Amino acid sequence: MTKPARHLQRLLALAWLLAVLLVAGHNAWLWLGQRASPDTDILALLPAASSKDAVRQQAFSHMVDSAQQKLVVLVGDRDWKRAQAGARAYLTVLHAHADLFAPISDDSAQWQSQWLDSLDRSRTLLLGDAQRAQLATVTAQQWSQRALGGLYGAFGGPRLGAWQDDPFGLFGDWVQERARETPVRPRDGMLFVERDGVSYALLLLELKAPAFSMQAQEQVVPLLAQARQAARAQADEVVSGGVVLHAAAASAQAGSESATIGAGSLLGILLLMWLTFRSLKPILYIALSIAVGCLGALSVSMLVFGKIHLLTLVFGASLIGIAQDYGIYFLCARLAAPATQDSATLLRRLLPGLALMLLAALIGYLGMALTPFPGLQQMAVFSALGLVFAWLTVACWFPQLIGPQTLRATPRAQGFGQSIARWPDLLGGFAWHLVLPAAVALIGLSIAGVARLHSSDDIRALQKSPPELLQDQMRISQLLELAAPVQFYLVRGASAEAVLQQEEALREKLQALVQRKLITGVQAVSNWAPSQQRQQDNLTLLRRALLEPQGESPDAVTLIAQAIGESPQWAQALRQRMLDKAQSITPEEFLATPAGAASRHLWLGQVDGQFASIVALRGLTDYRQLGQLAAVAEGMPGVQWVDKVGEISSVLRQYRIYMGWALLCAYAAIFALLALRYRRRAWRALAPPLLASLLTLGLFGWLGQPLQLFHVLAGLLVLGLGVDYGIFLLESSRDQRPHAWLTVGLSAASALLSFGLLALSHSPPLHAFGLTMLCGMLLVWLLAPLFTHPGPVAHATPDAQPDKESA
Amino acid sequence: MNARSLLCSLALLALLPTARAAAPVQQIQATLAKPAVMCGRFDQTKQLTGIKKPLQAYGRFCVLKGRGILWQTLQPFPSTLRITRDAIVQIQDGRVAMKLDAQQEPVVKMINSVLFSLLAGDLSQLDQLFELDGSLRDGHWQVALKARQPALAKAIGDISLAGASYVDKVSMKEASGDRTDISFSAIKTGDGAMTAEEGALFD
Repeated sequence: MTKPARHLQRLLALAWLLAVLLVAGHNAWLWLGQRASPDTDILALLPAASSKDAVRQQAFSHMVDSAQQKLVVLVGDRDWKRAQAGARAYLTVLHAHADLFAPISDDSAQWQSQWLDSLDRSRTLLLGDAQRAQLATVTAQQWSQRALGGLYGAFGGPRLGAWQDDPFGLFGDWVQERARETPVRPRDGMLFVERDGVSYALLLLELKAPAFSMQAQEQVVPLLAQARQAARAQADEVVSGGVVLHAAAASAQAGSESATIGAGSLLGILLLMWLTFRSLKPILYIALSIAVGCLGALSVSMLVFGKIHLLTLVFGASLIGIAQDYGIYFLCARLAAPATQDSATLLRRLLPGLALMLLAALIGYLGMALTPFPGLQQMAVFSALGLVFAWLTVACWFPQLIGPQTLRATPRAQGFGQSIARWPDLLGGFAWHLVLPAAVALIGLSIAGVARLHSSDDIRALQKSPPELLQDQMRISQLLELAAPVQFYLVRGASAEAVLQQEEALREKLQALVQRKLITGVQAVSNWAPSQQRQQDNLTLLRRALLEPQGESPDAVTLIAQAIGESPQWAQALRQRMLDKAQSITPEEFLATPAGAASRHLWLGQVDGQFASIVALRGLTDYRQLGQLAAVAEGMPGVQWVDKVGEISSVLRQYRIYMGWALLCAYAAIFALLALRYRRRAWRALAPPLLASLLTLGLFGWLGQPLQLFHVLAGLLVLGLGVDYGIFLLESSRDQRPHAWLTVGLSAASALLSFGLLALSHSPPLHAFGLTMLCGMLLVWLLAPLFTHPGPVAHATPDAQPDKESA
Repeated sequence: MNARSLLCSLALLALLPTARAAAPVQQIQATLAKPAVMCGRFDQTKQLTGIKKPLQAYGRFCVLKGRGILWQTLQPFPSTLRITRDAIVQIQDGRVAMKLDAQQEPVVKMINSVLFSLLAGDLSQLDQLFELDGSLRDGHWQVALKARQPALAKAIGDISLAGASYVDKVSMKEASGDRTDISFSAIKTGDGAMTAEEGALFD
């Protein structure tokens, strides 16, 4: 090695030191100064724009946002007084922490009179379906009787305001119809629901901090547990639900998993190194490269994405498994190299192989980065960055740190290296009559297994909340007959009026499904603020039925006046009083009132030059019937059925297929890359991962494991890692082979450790990923020496005389 | 979540149990008979703002301890109101004109309990909802009720009761100026108090 080259290497090492210090400083600033914390929102892992339809996106975020910060608690007991006491005990615990929750209780009665006031001036125009039907059929005589009944009755049933404001009880009926949209009622200053003899006090809490912030979760969850306990001391049952609870359970799981998988992986690797080198130095060197890799990945990822997802970190724990390959490769090569060769020269000899390994792994990650899943992009970029940083650390620092005398292999390690000699040369041609049928049978069986594979792309299978949380969630939906947040109709039109008219048409069609008990009801703005057309129609209907004489017979108001001995002027005043309360109401006006507060998430208003709204469904429980709901939207212009769950699942399906092709392309690209160096032997590096993947998939087929996107992604990594082993073995001469085998063994064992631990994850996607890696990597390890056997006669590798080459 | 918006109409009653009854109220309570079944005639006069003539009606009522109330208007036109713990049902022309289910509207239980207490003079029950101001002289008593909760006060206004062994008179004055006076007479108690037809309405 020449002096300038040596000088250059020193310079590079120093430059890298500077870079690493910068990265470390940035990390310290991020985590200690900025107190950055990872993101845990599972939705952030989904495609940002699965469809380019802005209205749809907004509709969904509208529905989700309105649900996300809410926390619903039901305190139940057979004895309402005990349920109330429980609810009060619950609130008492929370009241001390007003900073975490928005104002919780309000005077429901006070509030209610307000919301009625806001609708008062339009009351005559607001008619329910039943009332419209009655106005069309019931005679003026009957209407007057009904009005007189209310007038004379001492306790004539519910009445809102003075009799003159609602003589026919129409507004009262309409309000009652709106009230039937929820089973919740005010009672004794609380919200009340009853089911099967159990009375529940309903508490609605609004979280002030974001539900997905870890800090908020850490504060909120123990507090809620404490409140729950306080309530349970008074009442029998406490049911609580909210996104924050699921998010907290998910982060607790991912957090502890990240710790065990990361720690287990690191411990396993340290042990391996100890058994191999019986020295702390190589462990430190490799840990150094991994640490720099992790810090670099964190630092640059934060710069690129602005935030980092917790699952990225969990996945990053597996990064340790690959980043060490470069260090291991250098260390094992150092063991194999003669003491006379200095480390700088050794590195130059190893560089082509190292570069190939990095490139192949990056190609493997590239496929992931190309998916539209922000989470996967983050994982891919994070992992790729980690590898680049670890690689540069090996390339820049290892030759400076590790001299010819630094390391010595243990007998155990040497023994393992020598064991490669016992691998038969199956492709050498001596036993074709045995190998061929076995290979054909194995591959045939795998193909048969692959043919049995079925796929599952259901997004719901990807998230696993603790069963008790799911149970509570179901109970709440059941008790409160909540509207489904992810399945709804999106109604669009050129104007607000057009949207409302279309909503009315849709609601009419949905009545059939209500009658068949597929859903219990519909939430829509047009329930409250009908279209102008409908409002006019209502007024016409009401005038004709109540206020105008029909031929010979007088109108209902006149009949009332006659019955109580009032003058025609009185009758006219009563008519006028009703007509005065017939001022039209627009959806915007309605939504601005207190009554409209709960419907605001349904009205999207003007988006992209058109108007849009949501018609939500209550009491939807049978998800097999979604097809019928979708069918309702067919043939209705401007009405679209949105099923976010189905949509995301279908996106997952598309990308599973897409990633399958990406995997095949990666094989082709890596093959082209390897062919540049290994020519006709390139296939030998690729055959092990290819065969391992096929066998793994076949195995899953026979085991009945449904195929999902994450299996395919793992396939990409099997390729990326498996190719490394091919490169190790193909790069080595016959003499170096035992050390190359040691490299493969160390790397594969630690990859298995880290990825094998992922198979233990409770998160279904990570489990699928880990299991694929476990089977795939084990097979790659076993298959790699078979395909790279140097053969019975001395067969020089393209790199057999590296010293000459580098000289 | 739509619950908050829809806490409807009927239920203006937000109630909390509070102080104990004042001394005269307890004495009044002692003078009242508490029969299991009590029926009689009611005469009702309603004076409503905006309507010149008082609206007069009469009919029969029955109060059944633990079961409910039957309120049959006979004149000027027949109408029957049956209030039980489970439902409030209005029958006109032999058909159900209105029905409120307690399952759906918990306030039904409330209404039942308040009306029962009013008609039976169960002041200890009323004490939870109203401030009671009573006086008692020669076995005749009078009680003014003022709702403890503003919302309830707004909904039903001031109530006063007068009577001796039974409640004789109920007056309700609403903030709007509407006024209802009901007087009770010909009260019978015991098994024979209720007619067979009335009994049938409860089954």
